[in-house]
Amino acid sequence: MTDVSEKLLIVEDLSTTFATAGGPLPAVANISFDLGRNETIGIVGESGSGKTVLSRTIMGLQPRTNVSVTGSVLLDGNEMVGASEDFKRRLWGTEVAMVFQDPMTSLNPVMRIGKQIDEALRVRLGMSKQDAKARAIELLELVGIPSPVQRYKAYPGQLSGGMRQRVVIAIALACSPKLLMADEPTTGLDVTIQAQILNLLDELKERLHMSVVLVTHDLGVVATRTSRIVVMYAGRIVEIGATRDVFANHRMPYTRALLESSPKVSNASHTRLITIPGRPPNLLKLTQGCSFAPRCSYATDKCHQERPELQAADQPGHSFACWNPLPTTRGDSAT
Amino acid sequence: MLELEEMALVERPEKKKPLGPLFWLCVGWIALNIFGAIFANVLPLQNPLYQNYSAINVGPSLHHIFGTDDIGRDIFSRIVYGSRVSIAVGFGSMVIGFGIGAPLGMLAAYRRGRFDTILTTFMYILLAFPAIIATIAVLSFWTPRSVFKIILVIGLASVPLVYRVIRTATLSVATKDYVIAAKVQGAKDRRILMKELLPNIAPIGISFLLIGIATVIALEGTLAFLGLSVTTPTPSWGNMINESRTVLQQNPWLAIFPSLALCLFLLSLNFIGDRLRSHFDVTEVKL
Repeated sequence: MTDVSEKLLIVEDLSTTFATAGGPLPAVANISFDLGRNETIGIVGESGSGKTVLSRTIMGLQPRTNVSVTGSVLLDGNEMVGASEDFKRRLWGTEVAMVFQDPMTSLNPVMRIGKQIDEALRVRLGMSKQDAKARAIELLELVGIPSPVQRYKAYPGQLSGGMRQRVVIAIALACSPKLLMADEPTTGLDVTIQAQILNLLDELKERLHMSVVLVTHDLGVVATRTSRIVVMYAGRIVEIGATRDVFANHRMPYTRALLESSPKVSNASHTRLITIPGRPPNLLKLTQGCSFAPRCSYATDKCHQERPELQAADQPGHSFACWNPLPTTRGDSAT
Repeated sequence: MLELEEMALVERPEKKKPLGPLFWLCVGWIALNIFGAIFANVLPLQNPLYQNYSAINVGPSLHHIFGTDDIGRDIFSRIVYGSRVSIAVGFGSMVIGFGIGAPLGMLAAYRRGRFDTILTTFMYILLAFPAIIATIAVLSFWTPRSVFKIILVIGLASVPLVYRVIRTATLSVATKDYVIAAKVQGAKDRRILMKELLPNIAPIGISFLLIGIATVIALEGTLAFLGLSVTTPTPSWGNMINESRTVLQQNPWLAIFPSLALCLFLLSLNFIGDRLRSHFDVTEVKL
């Protein structure tokens, strides 16, 4: 294993369980992965697979009650699980920042955007009013907002969705965090704007030497912009590995199903997209076996009775959880 | 392409509609009322308690512009003096109600957990008990009734109502992403309460405050009508309306003028509140 200091984020055996009226709900179970500096990792999975809960747990953002978190999240050497609010507050903004899903609701509608950016600068970094304003305008320029001096005084309601998401990113970048959590940063945006925002994130990552956790349900988003991918299903990792390996040599049928259900440019027009039959399982009624078994065409009796653990694949760093993995010879061009 | 976009973005001045003459008329009217209430004993008014038995139940005239009541007191002067009680009760009790109810409501909605559960249950129990009966009960025994006591009782009775409205408003804001966003930027609780939550619930709070003032002034009238407001002969708009009831046939002016004063005051207040809200609303996109 690599030295602790080399990895920015080490998640180990992380579980988040909500206490609900129907019993314990394991939204995230036994997740382990790590993230190097200046690396982008993608977390993919369909709705309800626990992506958002995972990213919030890594941030240390849980409701105050009815939740138990076990395991460990080491963020640049700081343990986030079980840390006090005060401790986490010191890390938020400077160590880790978050870009939210919907730019329409992640800006305060009654505060000028400039003020929303320079508040953090003044409170957290102790900048003077003039310095903070100058820096805020710099940040607006950095995220590609035209005429930032005028925009500094705008209210969120005066900006378009894409512009707002740029502002959200500028706010997240204000205190130069080492890790940026982007929870579906493009879901609320037009396709053309999506590409712009993702390219912007990529560019900023390089320029500011950040690491990025990109949470998404869109495999097209992670394909070219991440070095590794975590595939989640029902709160667990079902496949993890280098992006190239996951795309070309995936072993888990769920990963294949996800890949097949995203449209490709090479498809003939009017090709019907392949869908995954059934729905994600009810996390309150998980069975003994593999959570994906009920929807999986390769499932055997064993799949229904025993949960597969993550096992190493041929490529280093690539592992999957499946009793009947897809053959490796398939699509081996990448290796 | 970019030029076009820039033009569209840059040249969108924050041009605000002027508040309009009606707004200023209402402000003027409220100011006049408050001015009258404060300087009633300096202004050249007739003594509101002086009973002129040679002019009973006379209609509006040059000497008594609003006429006199059934024991010969000048109605105009009594309305001006009466505004003191009405306005003091209206604003005073809302200061108490919001002073206690609003911070508790915001805190409960932001903190959640046991604090919220206990406080909210307690407030809902209070709400289940009709406030008017509690007010009547307390004021019946707590004599002699003064403006201060009435303000205190109505103010305290309004706390659960204010609490409920502010708590609900805060709840809907506190779960918004921008509050979490502020939190993960390292903002402290007090900052989130003051900078993120307060400005966003302010429009609801102000609307409710103005409706509250109006309701309380009317409630003071109700109490006066029951003889539970300030002890006579001190006039208030409410007890003037109450006294007019016995002589409604002979002298309708006695009911009309204080009702008109009450009505115009409340109308102006509500209109001002409404205009201010839409004037300072930055969440609506203005194109």
